[in-house]
Amino acid sequence: MDGATGRYDLLVVGGGPAGMAAATTARELGLHVALVDERPSLGGQIYKQPGEGFVVRDHAALGRDHVAGRVLIDATQRSGAHVLLRTSVLTLRDGDVVLHTEGEPVRTVRAGRVLLAPGAHDRPVVFPGWDLPGVLTAGGAQTLVKTQRVAPGERVLFAGSGPLALAFPAQLHGYGVNVVAALEAGPPPAPRDALRLLGAARGNRQLLLDGLRYRAALLRGRVPLRYRRIVVRAEGGDRLAAVVHAAVDSGWRVLPGTEERIEVDTLCLGYGFFPSVELMRVAGCALRYDEDLGGPVVELDEWMRTSVPGVLAAGDGTGVAGALVAVDEGRLAAIGAALDLGRLPLPAARERARPLRARLDRKRVFREALGRLYRVGPGVYDLATADTVVCRCEEVTCAAVDRAAETTADVNVVKGYTRAGMGLCQGRSCQRQVAARVARRHGLRLAEVPTGTPRSPVRPVPASAVADEQLQDGGFFTRDA
Amino acid sequence: MTRDPAPGDGAVLSPSAAHLRQELPADTDVLVLGGGLAGSAVAYYLAREGVDVVLVEREELNRQASGTNAGSFHFQIALHQLTAWGTDNVRDRLLAEVRLHAQAARMWTELEQELDAPMGVHTTGGLMVAETDAELRLLVDKNRIEAEAGLETQVLLAGELRAFAPYLADDLTGASYCATEGHANPLVSAPLFALRAQQAGAEIRTHARVREVVARTPAGTGFTVRTDAGTIRARRVVNAAGAWAGEVARLSGLTLPLRAEGLHVNVTEPREHVLDPLVQHIGRRLSLKQSGNGTFIIGGGWPSAPAPHPSRHTTRWDSAAGNMGVAVRVMPGLADVRVVRMWTGVMAFTDDLSPIVGESGAVPGYFTCIATTGFTLSPLMARLLAEHMARPSSRPLPPEYSPDRNPAGRPAA
Repeated sequence: MDGATGRYDLLVVGGGPAGMAAATTARELGLHVALVDERPSLGGQIYKQPGEGFVVRDHAALGRDHVAGRVLIDATQRSGAHVLLRTSVLTLRDGDVVLHTEGEPVRTVRAGRVLLAPGAHDRPVVFPGWDLPGVLTAGGAQTLVKTQRVAPGERVLFAGSGPLALAFPAQLHGYGVNVVAALEAGPPPAPRDALRLLGAARGNRQLLLDGLRYRAALLRGRVPLRYRRIVVRAEGGDRLAAVVHAAVDSGWRVLPGTEERIEVDTLCLGYGFFPSVELMRVAGCALRYDEDLGGPVVELDEWMRTSVPGVLAAGDGTGVAGALVAVDEGRLAAIGAALDLGRLPLPAARERARPLRARLDRKRVFREALGRLYRVGPGVYDLATADTVVCRCEEVTCAAVDRAAETTADVNVVKGYTRAGMGLCQGRSCQRQVAARVARRHGLRLAEVPTGTPRSPVRPVPASAVADEQLQDGGFFTRDA
Repeated sequence: MTRDPAPGDGAVLSPSAAHLRQELPADTDVLVLGGGLAGSAVAYYLAREGVDVVLVEREELNRQASGTNAGSFHFQIALHQLTAWGTDNVRDRLLAEVRLHAQAARMWTELEQELDAPMGVHTTGGLMVAETDAELRLLVDKNRIEAEAGLETQVLLAGELRAFAPYLADDLTGASYCATEGHANPLVSAPLFALRAQQAGAEIRTHARVREVVARTPAGTGFTVRTDAGTIRARRVVNAAGAWAGEVARLSGLTLPLRAEGLHVNVTEPREHVLDPLVQHIGRRLSLKQSGNGTFIIGGGWPSAPAPHPSRHTTRWDSAAGNMGVAVRVMPGLADVRVVRMWTGVMAFTDDLSPIVGESGAVPGYFTCIATTGFTLSPLMARLLAEHMARPSSRPLPPEYSPDRNPAGRPAA
């Protein structure tokens, strides 16, 4: 940081593919850059580096991800960007970004431009028993394996859907985890789909090969792979003992009489991702709704600018499209920031952006084709029963949410009556489920239910780190009329 | 009696969406403008008196100050009431207000029984702490006025305070203690009043923003009120629009002596229960308490950044920092407790900080029900106003709360 002014040209939030690519590009363009990430190391979720001592059984299954990740991490560290790890953004407003580094007092830094590249988190799916110990998200399982060198369990069932669904069990298997079966809620790939993907995939051979490789890795490992099946409930006392799954139609609605029970101690869920839009919402960025991209996604212009002046966004946090898209979006956003700051003339910015845009267009077409194949079915919101806990932080049941929805179609009011979404996670886990129940009660489409009012801080922060005893009160009680 | 609603498990005590979204009636005796605590309570007490009443709310019930404040009962004289300390008429005004507070204290202890449902009323007692000797002297003076007005408070010196509240900083010079202070749950209080109003015959309508309030001629023959949900004729209206009461009054050519300000509130993660009383500060902006579920709710009058309705005021980080600064100073054990959420609520600040409750002299039939310490005082103000409207001659209202008490309260030329 420039000590005299406490000011950066560009502050990048998120040390995953988009953030790292943006930081390195912005440095190449001569910008004064900071990159913050709440984790102890760069890489984001996808480029988390393997835990030492793990037996890597199948390098192909690990994918090119950790190799590509290593390259980006090295480039970021050499770039001269100021990397602030274990640092969360609590809120931002008018170019002031409020940061909290673990163990330190909260501080506010100013930035000419802020780029939000927060990535995505696992889509929570609520069914009876989803809150049992032993049920975890694919992202959680991946973190355990990659960084803690801990296998999540002895007998692991994977259930999920979407373009990356097979990557998780393939990776877990590759790391030596006993994956007893993988359930995909979507259809098996038909030749017609493969052709459609190939049509969309000019220049995307590598992506298509990745998909095939994951599948092949599972087949080689004799992991049973079953399509059009979804988890119906998880059973167990203190922890998971068994999972009941069933066949579904194209809308993911359970077909009666198709239930099967399998004894496992771990269930990994990978039903796609939600963009992490919390910071964008707190900043006041305009959002639109796209279920295929994970729900609310931020509105962007051609330079990755949001509707809030000075705030840009890139990567999976703007709609889940994967690391390759994220990298190019990050670079494009850095060029946009340099353009806005008057550090790059428009013709030069366009010239630099041209190859990125060409690649992004091709990748997006491919991802969209893939996304349509793996669209989340509305039946995913029908698995919970009355006594299923929908908000884990505040232990609120579906029945309670339904009772509150009798009085209102406003999720903020439901939140007030039930406390659903008032806990530590600020509703990241339950808000879609609550919105879905409100939508159903009032005959609305999910997209028509406005999300709850965003609240700061985006991450919990100790009172002592917030406290500043020198600040005097605002004094409006004594203001003269 | 103290009963806690069981969030998530109990019934939701509010009028149903099916009732709230029905067609607006064509006529009524009293039309209440605003579905917060004041409006819902006015509708309830009027309906209980047998008066024909309709309430209109522009969005959902209880979404502004009534539902976003921290739910504390402020009965002791507060910092902001001491601004012109020492003059005779201030002394008289304070005496009158403390009498009102003592009445509100009694009323809150009976409300759950009256409305026959839990409202999370906890009479925990309240401490107002002092950091300096000068502040302690202020507490002693304050205590005399409160005693004279019939509100029992007690001054604790430093050693007594340490014994009574060992979790507070050990270098405080003292505190004043009021046994009747405490809190209720602001998320359920106004909706419960609205439900009981409906059950007593009132009609409650949401998404009915008021666009026009026309006093019919000749004066005193009632009003025609146009809303987003239709037009209604009312013999009398009650402006209970809180922070927006000034805007609503201007629709009828009236100016009320008030302004809107946004306040900041913080809530922490839950911790084991250690703090019983509400804690305030005589010299700095602080209100601190631990709720039934273990979270600490911290506010006390720090500002937010304005934004026009329907946007919420945004939180200001300097308010969070200053507010937590006082809180950690007064209760050092809060240091490692994590703040999980901050929000803002917009409330009405009357120019003299006293309630505006009564009938406009300029526009007969036009009543107001607005209070600055709104959560504490609104049920009481609503009951006094409803009783007056039902039986005007036997239940006069204090003239010092008249909407006409300020010359600016005359109709615009």
